[in-house]
Amino acid sequence: MMLRLLSWPYVRKHALRTALTLVAVVIGVAVFVAMRSANAAVLATFEDTINRLAGATELQVSAGELGFGEDVLERVQSLDEVRVAAPVIEAVVGTGLPSQGNLLILGVDMTGDRSLREYDLAKGEEPLVDDPLLFLAQPDSIMVSDGFAQKNRLSLGSAVPLQTMEGPKTFTVRGILGSGGLSSAFGGNLAIMDVYAAQHVFGRGRTFSRIDLAVAKGAEIARVQQQLQEMLGPGFEVEPPAARGQSFQSLLRIYRFMLVFLSAFALLVGMFIIYNAFAISVAQRRGEIGLLRALGATRGQVWRLFVGESLIVGLIGSVLGIVLGQMGAGAMAASAASLVQGIYGVGGLNVTTALSPGVVGLALAVGVLTSGFAAAVPASSAARVDPVEALQKGRGQALEVRRIGRVAIIGAVLAVAGAALITRTDTRPPFFLGFAGVFVGTLLCAPLASLALTRGLRPLLCRIRPIEGALAFDSLIAASRRTSVTVLALMLSIALAIAIAGVAAGSYAGISGWVDTALNPDLFVTTSPTLTERNYRFPDSMTRELEAVPGIDEVLRLRNARIRMGNNPILLIALETEKTARRSPRQAVSGDLDEMFRVTAQGKGVIASENFASLRRVTLGDRIDIPSPGGVLSLPLVGVIREYSDQQGALFIDRAVFTKEWHDDGVDLFRVYVRRGVSPAKVKADILAAFSGNRRIFVLENADVRRYVSDLTDQYFTMTWAQLAVAVVVAMLGIVNSLTVSVTDRRRELGILRAVGGTRSQVRWSVWMEAIGVGLVSVVLGLVVGAIQLYCLLDLTSRDFPGLRFDYLYPYGVALAIIPTILVTAVLGALAPGESAVRSPLVEALEYE
Amino acid sequence: MNRRVLIALLVALTGRLLAADDPRAIVAEVQKRSRADSQQYEGVLKVVDAAGKTSEKGWQYERLGSHGDSKLVIRFTRPAEVKGVALLVVNHPDRLSDQWMWTPALNRERRVAAQDRGSRFFGTDFSFEDLDERDLEQYEYRLTGEMACDGEPCWQITATPRAGKRSQYTKSVYSIRKSNYTYAQVENHNDAGLVRRVRYSQMTNVQGIWTARTLDVEDVRRKSRTTLSLQSVTYNVPLAADQFTVEALRRGF
Repeated sequence: MMLRLLSWPYVRKHALRTALTLVAVVIGVAVFVAMRSANAAVLATFEDTINRLAGATELQVSAGELGFGEDVLERVQSLDEVRVAAPVIEAVVGTGLPSQGNLLILGVDMTGDRSLREYDLAKGEEPLVDDPLLFLAQPDSIMVSDGFAQKNRLSLGSAVPLQTMEGPKTFTVRGILGSGGLSSAFGGNLAIMDVYAAQHVFGRGRTFSRIDLAVAKGAEIARVQQQLQEMLGPGFEVEPPAARGQSFQSLLRIYRFMLVFLSAFALLVGMFIIYNAFAISVAQRRGEIGLLRALGATRGQVWRLFVGESLIVGLIGSVLGIVLGQMGAGAMAASAASLVQGIYGVGGLNVTTALSPGVVGLALAVGVLTSGFAAAVPASSAARVDPVEALQKGRGQALEVRRIGRVAIIGAVLAVAGAALITRTDTRPPFFLGFAGVFVGTLLCAPLASLALTRGLRPLLCRIRPIEGALAFDSLIAASRRTSVTVLALMLSIALAIAIAGVAAGSYAGISGWVDTALNPDLFVTTSPTLTERNYRFPDSMTRELEAVPGIDEVLRLRNARIRMGNNPILLIALETEKTARRSPRQAVSGDLDEMFRVTAQGKGVIASENFASLRRVTLGDRIDIPSPGGVLSLPLVGVIREYSDQQGALFIDRAVFTKEWHDDGVDLFRVYVRRGVSPAKVKADILAAFSGNRRIFVLENADVRRYVSDLTDQYFTMTWAQLAVAVVVAMLGIVNSLTVSVTDRRRELGILRAVGGTRSQVRWSVWMEAIGVGLVSVVLGLVVGAIQLYCLLDLTSRDFPGLRFDYLYPYGVALAIIPTILVTAVLGALAPGESAVRSPLVEALEYE
Repeated sequence: MNRRVLIALLVALTGRLLAADDPRAIVAEVQKRSRADSQQYEGVLKVVDAAGKTSEKGWQYERLGSHGDSKLVIRFTRPAEVKGVALLVVNHPDRLSDQWMWTPALNRERRVAAQDRGSRFFGTDFSFEDLDERDLEQYEYRLTGEMACDGEPCWQITATPRAGKRSQYTKSVYSIRKSNYTYAQVENHNDAGLVRRVRYSQMTNVQGIWTARTLDVEDVRRKSRTTLSLQSVTYNVPLAADQFTVEALRRGF
């Protein structure tokens, strides 16, 4: 009843403000829904793809990206509890067909794999390939999906060009998979090849990527998993296919973290706007509340009135946010699907986003509760309104200033305590508690700082526009709570921009320094255009051939692959340690550089990247247990170096140790140094001329690699800039909201100004000055709080995921760009309220209140 | 009546008397009569799929030893695209055979896993398991009737694998000609029913051993048919043991 009688007329009278409040909820909920839906859809699609690839596979045996020898297959097959075990090689290859992109090649043993995978659902028992003997006899045989064949007008006997270890080769379609089942994985961008032919084509030697298996009738999967794990040792992972989905989730960790952060931030800023709107509403309706209380309304009824209003706003905003979020989920899912493409190298994931009841429920809860929570403080303030005081104009605001002071004291105590906790702890929970203390403390101090700054800026701006400046700043000071809340929202956005830009600046500087030392060869000879793809390998014998190319001074072999340590994949890098120490000395974080390289070269130690040491909390002398096919390779940690090649961390061992333990002398990358005075471009041309006819080879010059690393870093920060844009938009809504209210509040004052001869221009300037005041205060506070947040964020990234330490570099350029951007945006936000102030009828303005 | 014919009649009569009611003895007699130190032939495989599409391949077959512990090599001789592909089977009396396949284009061998023996042998209607020799002791036999096979009287014997014997088949029904103790037909079943039917025809006496010159294999479910014609069959030819190894596969022809 009270909502209908009291709230509805107020909402109608202040429709614009209500709409702006609603927009804050809508944006927060929309980002939340889009993120959740997209994330769930991509994961579901990825899991579906895994299931299609896995077929009836119940367990998979793998050893990271390194693969393992063929003898492992016989050991697995020897177990009575294993019904069928089939070797698999997975590789992504370029097709060479016009606009076709990459194909996922699944190398399988066709003599036994049909027990595991559905190759031809549509045709049932029809022959799978035209001639199975011919398929196996000829290593150029491939089987493509029905969809792929139709898209490229292929039929049995058609030629398909594919990239192989020996350069581009033509393959022959000797089978076509029916639609459905395996064939539909990756949108049909999939081909089957004999596993032994795949070994040859992709230079895998006598190794397999993994073994897919199904257990015997009556055998318990978990028991067989345990038996196999015990039999094979810690160098192997024996897991259900679904575990690949989990490692995919781990790869998407940063992506998900950013989305959660973005959604939380949008909701936080939205919360400030709601708080702002309700605080204003309470201030404007003080008289009304006083009357209500005088007429017998209880404090609880008044509290419920305001919280009820906010819950309704939250509900409507949530519903609209859900609709908007679902519309945006498709685009977000496409972006996440492109990450899968980056991981797998194959596109074709057809992600469809569907709104689940769980997401709807959660979004409603988040939107409504956020709104209710934001309004709870203004509602309590309304409930505490004394009927007598409410009718005394100005008294309420004086009380608020005192309250701001008390809050700031609490904030300062919290911030100091938080900072003390951060500097004195090494463990995560107290660190996060300290981080939260600093953050909340800063927020609580901000209103007082805002008030002080507003007072400080008053004389300065009064010099530029004496009358308009004085009126604007007096208004800001008088409505200190409204001002501080608007400032707070904008300050947070600016602080976030500074923090992110600072992390970016630190990252670029750190990575650039690392590139200078770690990536200093003149040429990089690889099997793929990127340095991260590891589908092909060079044979060790190629080293001599390469060394014979004129102009080459030295060739360093590098082998790297992700292996699993615990639940996380880490990068294992096998290098020629002595040569590397001489050619590209690194920045030591702990340990003596010469000593760590010397011991590692002897095979008696391992060097870790800084983030590996940080994430796993290991220090010099600790033993690092590296799972290998022969068991556990346990080596002491002899050094920690600055290294950015992997988010999960990297370990460096000597190539001789790797070759011995992994029985693998392949090479992923040759680091080539040319002789002095010789042009790298000329050597590159000679290498290509020598090898490109008979080998898949890419030669990158140093500048190419630097550009590649820089592009990767840019890609990483693209999302954070988008995040920033959302935050600024939401904060700007706060300014518009605040100024609209201010103009309404100052209607009588502005009317009097015009009545005593003030021009329309003066009225406009008065509103604009108010906006400039809010903008200036926000910028000053934002730049200061940003500096604190940057410190905390850098500390966070070094202590927690991804464990990378970057130098503190304040982004002065970004700060300089922020000042005019915010001021111009603030004035733009003030244009409409200014015009509204100018155009309101004079008599009506004088009659106001 | 000369002496040799008399002895043969005597042996046949004795065997018939012994085997008359004992299915195991009948199967043992079949194996005994086909025993040779070695065998060699050139085979022609003709596969007709359910759609009526026909393909033909040639192979050279060599076997050393007889039931239980023999070794055999099959080398494809035509068409040109499959020439040189070979399969080595080493039979064991007490367990599944070991099988390796050689693909010359890849210059490497691969082991055919025991679990894969149920799959089709290179697109024919044989399975890899069908190339194994069946050891007498690994099955239990029941005489399930007598019948006429193309006008000739036959025993019908059902063989079921003993516990521990790994096979895709749950039972096989043999039709054995009474006149010469040769298979007329073998029907192989699994849990779902009849899988394959093999018919043995064009019986010829080669060096004293009755030999089917044509084997017709029918995959009942796929409705496809494979005919294997045996040419230039010879027994007890001198074959070197080292020809039946993985190394020999690598050496090729």
